[in-house]
Amino acid sequence: MKPTVIRRLRGRLMLFLSSAAAVVGVCFLFAILFSVIRNGIAGLSPELFTDDAAPPWIENEGGMRHAFLGQLLLTTVAAIIGIPVGILGGIYLAEYGNGSRVGRFIGNLADVAIGIPTIIIGTFVYSLLVHPFGGFNGWAGAVALAFIILPVIMRTTEESLRLVPWTMREAAFALGAPYFKVIKDIVFRSGFSGIFTGVSLAVSRIAGETAPLLFTSFNSNYLTADMSGPVPSLTVTVFQYAGSPYEKWVLSAWASSLVITVFILFLNIILKQIIKRRQVL
Amino acid sequence: MKAVRTFFYKDSLFRLFSLLSALSVFLICAGIFLSLLRESVPALREFGFFGFLFSVEWNYAESLFGAARPLLGSILTSLIAVTVAAPMGIGIAVFLSELCPAFLKGFVGTAVELLAAIPSIIYGMWGLFVFAPFIEVTLQRGVSALFSGLPFIGSFFEIHYAGGIGFLTAGLVLGVMVLPFIAGVAKEALDSVPKELKEAGYGIGCEKWEVVRRISLPYAGRAVRSGIIIALGRALGETMAIAYIIGNMNIRLTSVFDPYVTVTGVLVNEFNEASGLQMSSLFLLALLLFILNFSTLAVAKFCIAGKKS
Amino acid sequence: MTQPDFRCEIETRNLSFSYGSKTAVRNVSLSVEKNKITALIGPSGCGKTTFLRCLNRMHDLYKGNRYEGEILFRGKNILEKGTDLTGLRSRVGMVFQKPTPFPMSIFDNVAYGLRLKGIGNRQELTDRVEAALKKAALWEEVQSRLRTPASGLSGGQQQRLSIARTLAPEPDVVLFDEPTSALDPISTKKIEDLMRELKGQTTMVIVTHNMQQAARISDWTAFMYMGELIEIGKTDKIFTSPTVKMTEDYITGQFG
Repeated sequence: MKPTVIRRLRGRLMLFLSSAAAVVGVCFLFAILFSVIRNGIAGLSPELFTDDAAPPWIENEGGMRHAFLGQLLLTTVAAIIGIPVGILGGIYLAEYGNGSRVGRFIGNLADVAIGIPTIIIGTFVYSLLVHPFGGFNGWAGAVALAFIILPVIMRTTEESLRLVPWTMREAAFALGAPYFKVIKDIVFRSGFSGIFTGVSLAVSRIAGETAPLLFTSFNSNYLTADMSGPVPSLTVTVFQYAGSPYEKWVLSAWASSLVITVFILFLNIILKQIIKRRQVL
Repeated sequence: MKAVRTFFYKDSLFRLFSLLSALSVFLICAGIFLSLLRESVPALREFGFFGFLFSVEWNYAESLFGAARPLLGSILTSLIAVTVAAPMGIGIAVFLSELCPAFLKGFVGTAVELLAAIPSIIYGMWGLFVFAPFIEVTLQRGVSALFSGLPFIGSFFEIHYAGGIGFLTAGLVLGVMVLPFIAGVAKEALDSVPKELKEAGYGIGCEKWEVVRRISLPYAGRAVRSGIIIALGRALGETMAIAYIIGNMNIRLTSVFDPYVTVTGVLVNEFNEASGLQMSSLFLLALLLFILNFSTLAVAKFCIAGKKS
Repeated sequence: MTQPDFRCEIETRNLSFSYGSKTAVRNVSLSVEKNKITALIGPSGCGKTTFLRCLNRMHDLYKGNRYEGEILFRGKNILEKGTDLTGLRSRVGMVFQKPTPFPMSIFDNVAYGLRLKGIGNRQELTDRVEAALKKAALWEEVQSRLRTPASGLSGGQQQRLSIARTLAPEPDVVLFDEPTSALDPISTKKIEDLMRELKGQTTMVIVTHNMQQAARISDWTAFMYMGELIEIGKTDKIFTSPTVKMTEDYITGQFG
């Protein structure tokens, strides 16, 4: 009788401990959400989206419009560079390079590359595109983000394409289709929703990056579309504002963090719905 | 016949482009290594590899630089982070996949996923404005008051700088940051345990915990362990979450509440104003972090996740 | 084991096929009569599917395979170097065990092979899609929803769609790899009926694990075992008085 009681008590204790760990962990996570929401709402104002940067001593003026748009610009250019290359590379890994030594090597390398610290990518792009060209520029920032997104898209594309059953490809081959048409018409289309979800998540990830921009596109207080000079970004501005002694700037930083968080929340919810719907079909 | 030739031509072209795209990953990795190495040459010439690695100097006036403290800081904060986050993350995963009532599951699960997706700069702000002051009034004051009278041991818990800033706080913030990642990986691994396996456990009279401990966790172990190592790699390279709160002071550690340096912290604070030998030393630091991080992830991939039993 | 003279569409001569170190087809010589159905039967793992996939060189999609011997398609050896595989496959179609609807509309599915051939004329496409769907006995059921995704069809309909898609470019030969094994009896009957209808227009080779099916629809039946061709003959003869003892044991259910 006794061992059973001990076993039961020990089991209860361990389950209690893991629940407790869960509660503590979840409390921390909610504490962050709570701070962002509370402080962020306090800083929200229409000027945040309509005004560009203003000196901190001017009341009721100054916003983050330049930074929002700059971030959008950098992210868009990075996506335009990174997505096609990433998807094509993923196609190589899943199709032409499937099972080949090169394919396996690149696949493994991409897994490791996903984890390269983004600040290291920043220093690399600095020596590649900033130092030789005489100064911080938007192209460097976009390229740094593209380098970050590339292996992620490659892997997610590969995984989505691997989910497409081989018989589907064989059926297309059996009609006399060449491989590139099989990929374009059948495999890519079948895997599209998976690729779309993965790419969206990857883009949202680089949209929140700060470290790789610090040494590349740097930051600016002005609204600009000129990629050959410094380009403002939301994240770097938040970094500078949050570290500044001005209460107004700190509030703006919180408000911007709230906007980023809400954006990510909605993106995640929407993408989850897409994944769910795909599973139903 | 003509169509066939165009097909062949187009297919070869498509294949070539996709191969080149795939190779871009290799070019990026090789490019990082080579360009960082090239930029580090002056520092390597001046200090030598091991001279730089083991030197605790970081002195602008005398142009003496060394990697020992930043590297130690990065490793120390990351180890703190993983030590705290791993048990907690696995706890969350066990809770979510085995114990959690259905109505909470979606809510907590989504919150964890959301936090894994939040940019690190937000963790940094939270660390600076919320967590560091919290640590100051609770952990720092409490613990140092507890030990302050004791000889020898007391000095390990002295507060030299106020504000809750320091490597311990930084490590804890990193822990909170990698927590949702570890929880996510562990939950996915636990969810993948076949139902039959668990039922077999219950079938021979196992308690719930015994099923978790003896069946689910060992089954999921490989994935969880590799997830923890990947989390360690992330913590090593994390920048924005700790940029404000590490303190960035190149000093000899005497107390657990001391500020310190990490590789990423030094880079953020000095890179844009550096030149000459200091710049080269920063590149060498970045190279060392790259190698450290790369080998950590390679270990996760090939030694733990890669082996199939 | 001789087959009388007939109009031969495909002939294999001493065909062996191996992947890696495993030889799955050994020294098979058989002839497929034009516009008739030839059934391949045998216990699972006997090499019948592997043999079938030699006939349109499907194995070439994967690495590490080796053919020996000859496969004559209308007198030309398709194992020769420089054989245009996409061209071969557009003349030797294949229907698989599981339905394979492409991620596009019903119409586009059937038109896929036609477009590959370079047929872009709207009217011609429409006509030939309709003809193929009629041949596959699917026209009645889908004519009102040709533009809807093919994934919305039932399993049996999807399989007939796959057949229509294979038939649309009017291949000389259609290979069926256990086409009804994933289907219910009613869908199976529909497919058997349409195969009977196609006799006289198209050469068909079917792999089936279902001996009754072979007896019901085929003109010729070949029995394979362990990668070798044991016996081939007219279907009624194979099922009533096989010459080889092993064939008799198999069709009377003594093994397999």
